[in-house]
Amino acid sequence: MPTAHRRHALAGLIACSLVVAALAAFMQVMLGSYEMTWHRAWAALTDPNVWQPSVWVRLLCGEATAGMLHLPEAPALDTATLIVWNVRLPRVLAGVMVGANLAVSGSIFQAITRNELASPYLLGVSSGAGLAVLLALTVCPVFAAFLPLAAMLGGTVAFLMVYAIAWHHGTSPVRLVLAGVIIGAIAGALQTMLFFLAKDLSTVQNALSWTAGSLTGTGWQQVRLIVPWTLASVVLGLSSTRYLDVLLLGDPAASALGMNVERVRFLLAATAIMAASSAVAVSGLIGFVGLIVPHIVRTMVGSAHRHLLLGCLFAGPALLVVADVAARLAFAPVQIPVGIVTGVFGGGFFLYLMRRRRELGKL
Amino acid sequence: MNCKPHPAVTTESGLCGVRVSVRYDRDLPLIIDGQSIAIPVGKITALIGPNGSGKSTLLKTLARQLTLESGQIVLDGRDIATLTRLQFARRVGILFQENVAPAGLTVEDLVYHGRYGHRRLFESFTAEDQAAVESALLLADIAHLRHLPVGQLSAGQRQLAWIAMALAQETQYLFLDEPTTFLDPAHQFEVMDLLRKLNRELGKTIVLVVHDLNLAARYSDSLFALREGRIIASGSPDDVLDAATLRRVFDIEARILRDESGRFLFCLPVGRVGAASPETSL
Repeated sequence: MPTAHRRHALAGLIACSLVVAALAAFMQVMLGSYEMTWHRAWAALTDPNVWQPSVWVRLLCGEATAGMLHLPEAPALDTATLIVWNVRLPRVLAGVMVGANLAVSGSIFQAITRNELASPYLLGVSSGAGLAVLLALTVCPVFAAFLPLAAMLGGTVAFLMVYAIAWHHGTSPVRLVLAGVIIGAIAGALQTMLFFLAKDLSTVQNALSWTAGSLTGTGWQQVRLIVPWTLASVVLGLSSTRYLDVLLLGDPAASALGMNVERVRFLLAATAIMAASSAVAVSGLIGFVGLIVPHIVRTMVGSAHRHLLLGCLFAGPALLVVADVAARLAFAPVQIPVGIVTGVFGGGFFLYLMRRRRELGKL
Repeated sequence: MNCKPHPAVTTESGLCGVRVSVRYDRDLPLIIDGQSIAIPVGKITALIGPNGSGKSTLLKTLARQLTLESGQIVLDGRDIATLTRLQFARRVGILFQENVAPAGLTVEDLVYHGRYGHRRLFESFTAEDQAAVESALLLADIAHLRHLPVGQLSAGQRQLAWIAMALAQETQYLFLDEPTTFLDPAHQFEVMDLLRKLNRELGKTIVLVVHDLNLAARYSDSLFALREGRIIASGSPDDVLDAATLRRVFDIEARILRDESGRFLFCLPVGRVGAASPETSL
């Protein structure tokens, strides 16, 4: 029975993703310039001084909230625990969120454009969000908490422009991707222009590593920044799987079944933009994850979205955490942006897809 | 011959278009030009006409898939513009000519999509949904194929699966745009027999566009013949299918034959109007 077969494939995919992500996360926690043995790392992870409600509130909600709640002072932690919990682990968590956001965003974009080439990156959403974030960082500094909102604004504007350019009595996969390339190129050029206008060199260096898509230096602040948007997009995505499935039948069929196609597509696009833009606000422009994860998951569990989105929710984080291990440790002590790793391997995978399949595009 | 325009009726039950005009784009000419049509309730109605005559457009217009330039469409006494999409989708199902199922979608999953209009936001499938899907699968006689991907079926089975999806919608009206066009003769009969069964046993009102005049003659209770966006003739197959009407609608010379029982009528096209072929002189 294919349905049961699909369910087994999904369970296997989730299990594999969890194991891979856990192994990569442990490597990320253990290895680095501050050396520790694996049981030292394990002891730091399970340090009873950290596993207390007050410490967790401090980490997840920030010092300000902890102060307002009059929580007791954080207990003194030893160096290994501090490094694991303050430096290495939040980076892993941010990677998990970013991976989930990009994968969910990609699968929603692919469904609403009925186009397996669609992704936040190729549709120009990431570039638009990136431009907005760079503007916010260099020209008019805003509170960090507003960065995701600025990114969403940029992503929305870019997506609407791509759609308007591609629209000619409907759209086709190729037209959408070409329009995405156009908007991506313009947004990329404007991003580079901002480097030249920036006043000091350190801003430029930060911005440069950020446009390449990097998790270097992400801490609890970034985790706190993305968590609410990740939760919102996951909940919205998982509760609209039926709409995504019906949209795949095509606009006329969906409309004949009673769907207000334009409104549903608009709301789903908003969800996908929210997911991708908040990821961009935290990690910069990480390409190919939103394209390739839904692709791999679809070949394994089929195109039913209740399976596809669940699979993406586990495979996306696993892929990004593994890529980030490579980005951080492969050329140690130099760290490269994780976007370079996903770009090289994602580009290769894309090439493989193109060669293997004669017709690529329509879902 | 019945070629006078239908009176603009607004009956309590039934579906009619009143002086309906449609065009695809503001710069393009009218596809349907101020036509009125009353679809007989509980019957099988076929729309016939040459390519580009507007028959598919008329079907889609009646099924609310196109925006009216002018005129109105009345369903069971209400202007369909006042119905919500879901209200309409629970009364009228429509199946388009070309349907593409996403890769790997099973027959059963496809038929469940027919329940879209009956579910509420975030609600999962109910026993009622399940019963509707089971009965649709049985009616279309494809219950044994339920776990197969739609893409792996033959063209005929695929068409039955899409019809089953429309059946799961549980609508009084069922519209089909050329449901038999890409099928071999056996599957054409299978689809048409299914439609007749739905009409005779469940009382569904069925409206379809067909190219094959003999299928139209054999299965429909009433016919509308279109040409250049206008209804040229309407009535029972006996009324509409005669040599003069076929000449006016299709530009063909045809002979009308009957089988021995006299029940079935056949059109035998013998050539284009004006083409000097030996048969036309018969």
